[in-house]
Amino acid sequence: MGGATLFSVSYGLASLLLHALGYILPQPLRAGVTNGNVILGLGVLLFGAILLGASMINTIVLIWWERKLLGRFMDRRGAMHVGYAGLLQNFADGFKLFRKNTFRPREADSLGFYSGPIAYMVTSMIIFGILPISSGWNSGSLPLSLLLALAIFSFAPLFIFVSAWSSNNKYSLMGGMRSAAQMIAYEVPLLLAVVAVVVVSGSFDLSTIVYEQQNYWFWGPLILALIVFVAGMLAETERIPFDLPEAEAELVEGWNTEYGGMLFAFFMLADYLRALVGSILVVLLFLGGWTMPSWVPSAATSFPLAGIAWFMVKTYAVFGLFVWIRASLPRVRTDQLLRIGWNRMIPLSLASVFLAAALVMVKCLPVFGCLPSPGI
Amino acid sequence: MSEMWLNMGPQHPMTHGLWNLRVKIDGEMILDVDPEVGYLHRGIEKISEDRHYNEVITLMDRCCYVAGFAWEHMYILASEQALHLSPPERAEYLRVMCEELQRIASHLMWYAAFVVDIGLQSPFLYGMRDRDLILDLFQSYTGARMTYEYMRVGGVRNDLPAGFTDRARQVMDWLDKKFVDYDRLCLGSTIFRGRCDGLGVMTARDCVATGVTGPMLRSAGMKRDLRRDRPYSVYKQLDFEVAVADGADVTARYLVRMEEMRQSVRIVRQVLDWLDHHPGPVLADRLPRWLGAPYAPQGREGYLLKRNYPKGVGFSAIEEPHGEAQAYVVNEGGEHPYRVKFRSPVFANLSAARHYMIGYHVADIPPIMGSVDICIGEVDR
Repeated sequence: MGGATLFSVSYGLASLLLHALGYILPQPLRAGVTNGNVILGLGVLLFGAILLGASMINTIVLIWWERKLLGRFMDRRGAMHVGYAGLLQNFADGFKLFRKNTFRPREADSLGFYSGPIAYMVTSMIIFGILPISSGWNSGSLPLSLLLALAIFSFAPLFIFVSAWSSNNKYSLMGGMRSAAQMIAYEVPLLLAVVAVVVVSGSFDLSTIVYEQQNYWFWGPLILALIVFVAGMLAETERIPFDLPEAEAELVEGWNTEYGGMLFAFFMLADYLRALVGSILVVLLFLGGWTMPSWVPSAATSFPLAGIAWFMVKTYAVFGLFVWIRASLPRVRTDQLLRIGWNRMIPLSLASVFLAAALVMVKCLPVFGCLPSPGI
Repeated sequence: MSEMWLNMGPQHPMTHGLWNLRVKIDGEMILDVDPEVGYLHRGIEKISEDRHYNEVITLMDRCCYVAGFAWEHMYILASEQALHLSPPERAEYLRVMCEELQRIASHLMWYAAFVVDIGLQSPFLYGMRDRDLILDLFQSYTGARMTYEYMRVGGVRNDLPAGFTDRARQVMDWLDKKFVDYDRLCLGSTIFRGRCDGLGVMTARDCVATGVTGPMLRSAGMKRDLRRDRPYSVYKQLDFEVAVADGADVTARYLVRMEEMRQSVRIVRQVLDWLDHHPGPVLADRLPRWLGAPYAPQGREGYLLKRNYPKGVGFSAIEEPHGEAQAYVVNEGGEHPYRVKFRSPVFANLSAARHYMIGYHVADIPPIMGSVDICIGEVDR
């Protein structure tokens, strides 16, 4: 990839567009549109639009991937009819939801009812601006991008609770309470698991963390942190076995019971966006991001956009693990969930931090090779 | 959140039918429950009084739509007693085979619904897939998958098609293999045991006091099964064990139903062997002429035939998949039963909800109710 970052591509595209526009416009306007600041502004907009499109398409393909995989686990085929192997089924579903009317219960609070799903969706999407999909994907190197991503990620309970409470429905309220309790309980082990990665890699910058994994991936030495992180991610993204906020058996649909049409689609998309972010974070922190080990033949790692391709393969494999877990485990109960969170996950994550610190002290491991020198 | 009443139903994913469970909750704790039924009342007992004896069978299929054969069998036994008829032996074996296959199908349906209640999604499809095999068998000799109208007063409608017993044996072999998978998916899972152990406990004493029967009673350690204790039809000639468990909780009910399916497979195998070697008629040849409605003698001749037919009362109690079902049929002469009364086991099991629901969590409602195995069709009738 080298110098051709996504931002330079979108900047070049903006420049090309505006110069073409200036070519047909009269002189005073031509100078206006070919101004450097205007090009920069349009470049940023295009950058955002490309990210939006990429993340939305990925999310919808992710839903397809889950449906197909779940179908296979359940001894059936999943979506088959719209598009090749049902690939366009979710686009059709999304379009159907888009056309549907959205109802608001009379007693619901309209501000919270409408702003909740939108804020939930928007905050989930902002994270994609920070995540490096491949070298040179994001606009610049943020020294604290990992912290920022997790901070935005943990906004969600607030918006879920706002929309649940403003729905003025008992099931929604109970789902919202569960969701808030669950996400707060699993935030701590999640962050502690991340601390283990930070201790080993010596950086909060996601790109740096990936570069530190060029010799060996972190999942081996930090297996404990990986387990805690994946379990925490399952809870944060409210997937089985931790999907009790929307446990359909007792709470109908949990906190989004009253939502329909496009507002429901927002929740649905945001859920899968968060699942995608979760898988991406697992890949970035533990599975070497877009890098490949040296024994992989160079032909498989040097074609154009190889980084993105490998990254996507890993992300979908991690999400496949999530689906596998969903297909084979029952749902836990609220008190069991909290007990697992506070009694098991936090000690495990603390142990993983100590383990990581010990690894840094020892420096070299016979199996995994030498650690990078911490740059703190 | 303070204490509040929550209406779970009549439109709710937990209910598996049209009924309403009113729950008084404090946060996640259940303080009180109040099951409300009656949303599906169709007046089947009253409608039966206006129908010919054989036409009531149609209603029996609709009483319990997951165990239609069991209800047909129960009604047929009572009305044959009221009409002083006895079926050929082959018909009796066919009925027992129907009832046992139906028990497996009903328990598979229960399994599918129950695992979804605790969030296990794949076994739902597995249970439905294997139930479909049994429905295929039903379709091959009754033409229907749910509402069979197969049994007749005095026998059954038709004999089995050629090659049926071999196909049925294949299905039984397949099921025996799959039961192992079911157990591994459920009992092998720590989360499943954590969800179900010690949940919804109802002791044998409470069960007897409230009239709870069937797998719920046997899961409390009480070895009572009408097929063994009050044998009807040809169950005396068949070899099987009564499934019991000790826990009195959701896991125990799971174990009892799983074991019952295995025993039913065993019974079906014996019946299939018997059917292979004992051909014969399946409908009694000396039936009252007015029982076959389309060619029944009309006018004065028909009137005399019906008036002179001996009166009688019939009672039957069978071990339905959900519990002990009873039927009472009064024959006052004439082509219609004078009065028909049924006892639904699920009605009693459901009414005892206060005994096994209070003190648990809201999240426990679906597994507990799932373990009761509710069929609203027979509760409301």
